Amino acid sequence: MAIKSPKDFWAGVMFIAFGGGMAAIALNNYQMGSAVRMGPAYFPTVLGGILAVLGLILLARSLALKGEQVARFHFRPLLFILAACVAFGYFLKPLGLVGATLLLVFISAYGGHEFKWKEVAILFVVLFVFSVLVFVKGLTLPFPICPEAIEDFCRF
Amino acid sequence: MEILSNLALGFGVALSPFNLLMCLVGVLLGTLIGVLPGVGPVATIAMLLPITFNLSPVAALIMLAGIYYGAQYGGSTTAILVNLPGESSSVVTCLDGYQMARQGRAGPALATAALGSFFAGCVATLIVAMFAPPLAEVALKFGPSEYFSLMVLGLVAAVVLAHGSLIKAIAMVILGLMLGLVGTDVNSGVLRFAFGISELADGIGFVTVAMGMFGLAEIIANLEHKGAREVFTGKVKHLWPTKEDFKRIVGPVLRGTFLGSALGILPGGGALLASFGAYTLEKKVSKYSAEFGKGAIEGVAAPESANNAGAQTSFIPLLTLGIPSNAVMALMIGAMMIQGIAPGPQVMTERPQLFWGMIASMWLGNLMLVVLNLPLIGMWIKLLTVPYRILYPSILVFMCIGVFSLSNNPFDCLLMAAFGLLGYICVKLECEPAPMILGFILGPLMEENLRRAMLLSRGDPLVFFQKPISASFLVVSIILLVIIALPNIRRKREEVFVEET
Amino acid sequence: MRAWLAAGRRLAALAALAAAALPAFGQAWPAKAVRIVVPYPPGGPVDVSARLIAPRLQEALGQPFLVENKPGAGGNIGADYVAKSAPDGYTIGMGAIATHAINPALMANVPYDPIKDFRHLALVVQVPNVLVVNTELPVRSVAELVAYAKARPGKLDFASGSTGSTGHLAGELFKQMTGTYMVHIPYKGAPAAVADLLAGRVQLMFDNLASALPNVKAGKLRALAVTTLKRSASLPDLPTLDESGLKGFDMTTWWGLMGPAQMPADVAQRLSAEILKAMDAPEVRDRLRAMGMEGSSVRTPEQFTAFVDAERKLYAKLVKQSGAKPD
Repeated sequence: MAIKSPKDFWAGVMFIAFGGGMAAIALNNYQMGSAVRMGPAYFPTVLGGILAVLGLILLARSLALKGEQVARFHFRPLLFILAACVAFGYFLKPLGLVGATLLLVFISAYGGHEFKWKEVAILFVVLFVFSVLVFVKGLTLPFPICPEAIEDFCRF
Repeated sequence: MEILSNLALGFGVALSPFNLLMCLVGVLLGTLIGVLPGVGPVATIAMLLPITFNLSPVAALIMLAGIYYGAQYGGSTTAILVNLPGESSSVVTCLDGYQMARQGRAGPALATAALGSFFAGCVATLIVAMFAPPLAEVALKFGPSEYFSLMVLGLVAAVVLAHGSLIKAIAMVILGLMLGLVGTDVNSGVLRFAFGISELADGIGFVTVAMGMFGLAEIIANLEHKGAREVFTGKVKHLWPTKEDFKRIVGPVLRGTFLGSALGILPGGGALLASFGAYTLEKKVSKYSAEFGKGAIEGVAAPESANNAGAQTSFIPLLTLGIPSNAVMALMIGAMMIQGIAPGPQVMTERPQLFWGMIASMWLGNLMLVVLNLPLIGMWIKLLTVPYRILYPSILVFMCIGVFSLSNNPFDCLLMAAFGLLGYICVKLECEPAPMILGFILGPLMEENLRRAMLLSRGDPLVFFQKPISASFLVVSIILLVIIALPNIRRKREEVFVEET
Repeated sequence: MRAWLAAGRRLAALAALAAAALPAFGQAWPAKAVRIVVPYPPGGPVDVSARLIAPRLQEALGQPFLVENKPGAGGNIGADYVAKSAPDGYTIGMGAIATHAINPALMANVPYDPIKDFRHLALVVQVPNVLVVNTELPVRSVAELVAYAKARPGKLDFASGSTGSTGHLAGELFKQMTGTYMVHIPYKGAPAAVADLLAGRVQLMFDNLASALPNVKAGKLRALAVTTLKRSASLPDLPTLDESGLKGFDMTTWWGLMGPAQMPADVAQRLSAEILKAMDAPEVRDRLRAMGMEGSSVRTPEQFTAFVDAERKLYAKLVKQSGAKPD
């Protein structure tokens, strides 16, 4: 039984995992209720079941019909871009907008193919100033501009 | 005719220099926040509420309304240029709009969006002016059963949206439905699928999912190969639609306008359905349906007209019944209340300047937007020629700021990254994100209405077929599903057959 | 030589900058912006009242007062945030009946103590609820409603803006005190509930005054009674539930400003005084009143704390009594 269509196969696996998983969580933790008074578990279980069934169909089909290979995962851009976003979120308060933007720009730029220090640095400055003007001053979004440590010196 | 005198009153109010200025400020601001991915009208209007205290009620509402539909225009810009849907109504525009941009046709796409939106805005404003009270009565006829059936129809339409495997599309819709269930259950107050993370108590935000699955996934995919994205800059052709383009968009714009106007009057989810309802309708009736998903101009014209028409008519429940159709309108009610105006049926009669002034300014706002947006197309095209290594960190900065500002919580950035990962996996497995996102939006609404309908009918499932409106929606859904499924089943059977021989 | 001069000038500039910044240390409160955390989405009545008060506080105290929305979990997320924030006087927030009285009774694990974890600064708004019915319902008084409901047990539906809201609990208490059986239909927010009430899909609702007033005045809904002991100034002809036979019925929706328990006492006192002054300003008072929000007799922080404690105990009892709970 060879996997003739890897794309369909893994898609099927993903759906079975999501569907089955969520249905299981729902059944274990929440009330089902009845059709009249549907409990919080009703809808998720039904949906999860359907999703898992669809996943099975895909799985079965992947063993029968020929399909494409799953294209290669490029881990470098994936990891760098995602890391950059997460870093921004968690460093915004401690390092202020200046620090978070710095991390975001540099980490994400590093994940690309061309990285020139001076260019990225200029980009960072431009983006930072623009963001301060538009978001913090213009739209009055409550972002700290400077890192917590030197907050008192920051009189912007 | 009474309507003429009312409109005269309205324009008299709207054309006063200060009100005109407020309208301009509103649409400019709206366009800006529509273009900036992640920053939405809700946050902005909230920030601006204090300013509106000092304005006259008419001026304040004109500005806030301008922000709202200005954001619709802006949202389609990012949808076309960088595959980022700023608003839930722009999701559908991403499908063909972005593909058109990839083919160097961003100019015509943007122009079509602007022109279609303007036409729709004009017609819809007229509809609001003439038929507001009777349409409001129609809206009241929609109860939980009708909403549920309408959403079932919407979901079937979402499946039609996809151009790949039918089973995968249905599965993605269901996945979206399930992700939408994360959070506090309306009926029982129970917290579902939150795994103890308190930030998930109110569910996953649309912006977070859209930014992740559309924006991040696209950026990561573009960074795979050096030069993968240079396709764009290579062949930018005309900035304006060709004669043939114009001929092709007439039908979609008309159909989209009327469908959008109709769906927009339903409080609670109507306008959302407008854009992808129009897309589905167009895909089914167009002779170019094979091109849908690969850059068909109808795929931009129809949803854009529909969502703008829906945006205008969604003011009807607000102005006539005092019922907000979405979060932005809820804010406007807050603004009205601060000004001492109780929103409700009496606004039309007690404050005609407010009502008609707003309607007139909606038309003026649309005019300003189209005048504003068309010349900007050239600028946007130039923006696309910026080397990608400079463009994508910029997009990321705006996205992260936008997502963070939702509730000032770093968790949202983490969640966006998670959906970025999911989006990337889906790209690799050829599962489309658009049906998932539509399921995501509709899921909680569907469940809420299903349970409420069952509560009200004391458990009788036949209620969906007993009410005429609800029954007709369900029947149409079933027919549509059969129409979609048949050719697919036949095709797959043929494939298997071919394999066997 | 020139290099030295240049360096010296730079050093002097730096020193001046540092000297200018130094006063920030140990300066009197407030030395920078203060955050008002609202545990609900923008535009709602709690948010609006915060945004009405913020500019006045800013004027009075000289530093920006910024409203920050942290919605979620019926208000618990925002309330918890305030409780656990740094007690330096730069973070305060709105606490409401939902976060400080109802949720602790209704929900299993609320992560804060409504009395011990907070410093109660000032009660801002108290709003009565109104019993409104669809105009097609052939009842014109509470007594008629009770008779009507008793004749058809389980046939009437009452709507509420959310499970665990005052509207929900008022309904449950009403049922319990009158011995009637009606089905509770929860909605996501009052406007959605009102829409179905107007259309007749549900028959009655204990809506808050701000939301119900326009419809009552326009004749689209019929009001039968208010839920407070005293009659409402906006609808003086409307009897109270207490007058209509439900003795002792007294429920209001309220919210007020609070800070973390350990915040400095003098800062808290100053804030309480300024908040009260802001609310007494005619502009603020009139705007609040136009929204149906009436001021309250609870003025001092001590009265506020006592009030919150009383409410907490009341709702603990009510929730148990009425059996209201997540299904």
